[in-house]
Amino acid sequence: MAAAIHSNSAAEASKGPQQPLTLYTTQTPNGIKISIALEELEIPYKVFKHDFVARTQKEPWYLAINPNGRIPAITDTFSDGSQIHLWESGSILKYLVEQYDKDFKLWYPAGTRENYELFSWLFFQIGGLGPMQGQMTHFNRHVTEKIPYAIERYSNETRRLYSVLEKQLATSQSGFILSKFTIVDICFWSMVAASGWAGVSLAEFPEIHRWYEKVLSRPSVAKGMNVPEPHPIQVLMDDKTGQKAKEFEEYSRSWVMTGMAKDAEGLKKRDPAC
Amino acid sequence: MPLKAIDLWGHWGAPNPWKVCIVLEELGIPYNIQSVEFSEVKQEAFLMINPNGRLPAIKDPNTGITLWESGAIIQYLVDQYDRDERVSYNSFPEKYFTQQWLAFQISGQGPYFGQATWFARFHPEKIPSAIDRYVNEVIRVIGVLDKAIETNNTGWLVGDKCTYADLSFVTWTSVAEGLLRELNKLDGLETRYPRYTEWLTKMEERESVKKIRERMARGRAEHGLPP
Ligand SMILES: N[C@@H](CCC(=O)N[C@@H](CS)C(=O)NCC(=O)O)C(=O)O
Ligand SMILES: N[C@@H](CCC(=O)N[C@@H](CS)C(=O)NCC(=O)O)C(=O)O
Repeated sequence: MAAAIHSNSAAEASKGPQQPLTLYTTQTPNGIKISIALEELEIPYKVFKHDFVARTQKEPWYLAINPNGRIPAITDTFSDGSQIHLWESGSILKYLVEQYDKDFKLWYPAGTRENYELFSWLFFQIGGLGPMQGQMTHFNRHVTEKIPYAIERYSNETRRLYSVLEKQLATSQSGFILSKFTIVDICFWSMVAASGWAGVSLAEFPEIHRWYEKVLSRPSVAKGMNVPEPHPIQVLMDDKTGQKAKEFEEYSRSWVMTGMAKDAEGLKKRDPAC
Repeated sequence: MPLKAIDLWGHWGAPNPWKVCIVLEELGIPYNIQSVEFSEVKQEAFLMINPNGRLPAIKDPNTGITLWESGAIIQYLVDQYDRDERVSYNSFPEKYFTQQWLAFQISGQGPYFGQATWFARFHPEKIPSAIDRYVNEVIRVIGVLDKAIETNNTGWLVGDKCTYADLSFVTWTSVAEGLLRELNKLDGLETRYPRYTEWLTKMEERESVKKIRERMARGRAEHGLPP
C-alpha cells in the first residue's frame, strides 16, 4: 500500500505540477458533449466560459488555441508534462477516452470491430446530424425573413437523420445506440436535447424519446448538461407564455447574425491583427 | 500474405468516396470500386451496408469489417495499414492533431461546401442570402486552413509531413475551386491565402492526388457536371 502511494507520487512529481484540464465552452450542444464526458469519467476540470455576444471566441488568444474560433476546445497536460490544445468535439471525445478511460466505460478497446463501428456513428453525428440540425435552427430561429425552401430542406434532412437514429435505437438490445452507453450517446443526446429548439418534435420519434429520458436519468448527464450554466432548452420548452423563448431567440439571433456580418467583413479585408 | 482488395462503395463524381481512394492509393492498398448511383443509396440493399444511405462505405475482406462515414474509414485504414506512419503519426501530440483536423474536415468543410454547391449550382431558384451564407463559410474555412499552415510552419497541417489530415481536404477543395471560379470569387484568393495555395499545389503533385483528382474530374465531365 505504502509502496503504491510512493510510486504514484513519484510519477506525479515527474510530471511537474498537475494542472487540471481546462474546457473552453458555453451553453451549447457541442459544449455540453465534453462536460458530460468529463463528468462521466470523473476528470477534474476548470471551465472558461465564452461570451458569444462579446465574441471572445474570436479573440487572438483563443484563436491560438482553436484557429476555427468555435467551442468546445480543451487544454490538457499530457503525461510527459507538455500541454496540448485540442478542438472539435469529436476529436476531444476520442482523446478523453484514449487518455482517461482505461476501463472502457464509454468506448471499446482500440482496434476492435466495435470500436471502429463506434466511430462510424460518431462521425455521422459530427458530420451529419450536427451540421444539419444547426442549419435547421438557423433558418427557423435566426433568420428573420423566412425562406420556406431552406426551412423545408433542413427540416427534411434533419428528420431523415433522426429517423436513422430512431431505427438504430429500435433494433438495439441495450437501450443505447450501441451495445452499451458510449460517447456516441453523449454526442447525439447533446443535439437531441436541442431538438425542440431546432423545430424537431420527439413525438415523431418514440424510440429517441425513450432513450433521451433514459440518458437524462444519468447523474453525470444531469450535471454535465448544466455547464457552464443551466441548460435553457427544457426551461424554454416548458415556458407556456413563450416569453423566455422569445428572449432566447433574440439573444441567439443577435450573436449569430452580427457574427456572420463580422465574419463577412473580415473576409473582404484581412484582419490586420492576424 | 498479400492483401485482398477492399470493396469501396463509391460514385463517379462525389468528393467523399474519392477522398477515401486517395488514402487507399497512398497506402498502396488494393481496392475495387462498386459504383452506386445516388438514386440507389436510400434503397434497402445499400441501407444494409450504411444505415445513413450515403457514400462511401467499405468492406474489408482482410478483417471482415464493414464501415461507413469517410472519417471513420480513413481512421480505420491508417490504424490497420499504416504501421510505418507514411501518412499518419503515432506520436503525441501529432496523433491527436491529425484526428482533430480530420474531424474539422468532416464537420466543418464537407457539410458547408456541400451546401454552397447546392445553393449556388443546383437549386433552381437563386436565394442570395443562402448562397452568401455558405460561400462565405467556404472562404472562412480556407482562411482557417491558411492560418493553421502558417502557424505550423512546415507547409503541412500537422508535424512536418503530408498526412491523411491534409489529404482529407483535397477532393472538396477541388470542388470549391470550380465553384469559386464560376462565381468569380477565385481572383485574389492566391494572394490572400498564399500558404493554403502552396499547400494545395504540393498535394496536387502527389501521384495519389493526381490520379484521383483526374478520375473524379473525368467522372464529372462525362456526366456533364462542372469540376
Ligand atoms: N464541429 C464543431 C462545431 C463547433 C461549433 O459549431 N460550435 C459553436 C457552438 S455549438 C460555436 O462555437 N459557435 C460560435 C461561432 O460560430 O462564432 C465541433 O463539433 O466541435
Ligand atoms: N459525412 C459523410 C458524408 C457522406 C455524403 O454526404 N456522401 C454523399 C456523396 S459525396 C452522398 O452519398 N450523397 C447521396 C445522397 O445524399 O443521397 C462522409 O464523410 O462519409
